[in-house]
Amino acid sequence: MISDMDQAMRLHIYRFWCEKGRPPGVAENARACDLAETAALAAWRRLHDAHLILLEADGDRIRMANPLSAVPTNYRVRVGQHWLFANCAWDAPGIPAMLQQDAVIEARCSPHGELLRCAVRDGELLAEEALVHFALPFRHWYDDLVET
Amino acid sequence: MLLFRSEGDLDAWCQQEGRPRGAVLTLQHTWALAQAWYRNRLSPTFQGRSPAEAQELFASLGLRGPFWEVP
Repeated sequence: MISDMDQAMRLHIYRFWCEKGRPPGVAENARACDLAETAALAAWRRLHDAHLILLEADGDRIRMANPLSAVPTNYRVRVGQHWLFANCAWDAPGIPAMLQQDAVIEARCSPHGELLRCAVRDGELLAEEALVHFALPFRHWYDDLVET
Repeated sequence: MLLFRSEGDLDAWCQQEGRPRGAVLTLQHTWALAQAWYRNRLSPTFQGRSPAEAQELFASLGLRGPFWEVP
């Protein structure tokens, strides 16, 4: 169970990310929630431990808040004015699912890198046939989220 | 999770990477999973999922068996 303050920080991370196209830095997240940066970093660690965000190894930058990726990937999604990167082929449709908005998805297929462009409109996914491969069973997903 | 245009491309990737085949979902099935998994992510009450909740969600989409077992 996370605290109300940690929840407020989590929600600000998502709102900020979707509006700006990038995750907030700790100062931005702390300021929005009226916290000192040290307290914000401690909250980030709790959210990380609860699998609600993923921090970079240095602990002071956000790498993921699923389905969003802070680093460019083969899966990008345009919602409104912004392109957002998704972590994987499942997370790409996860962005319009989360935002409950229409979207355009551009993904590179393995192993040759062909571009697949599809859309979400009025809750329907409009796409050519394609397959999503889940390489690891669920019990190993959180062993290494970047690898997953 | 990677995207493939065909079973042949997936087989080629598995061979190239020396990795076993995992679970394969169509894009439409993945969309249904994405909707179920992410639609409440921005809710102010979202706290993650318990193992039982995750298992039930997978089962509701026909995802059963050891691969989808939630410890």
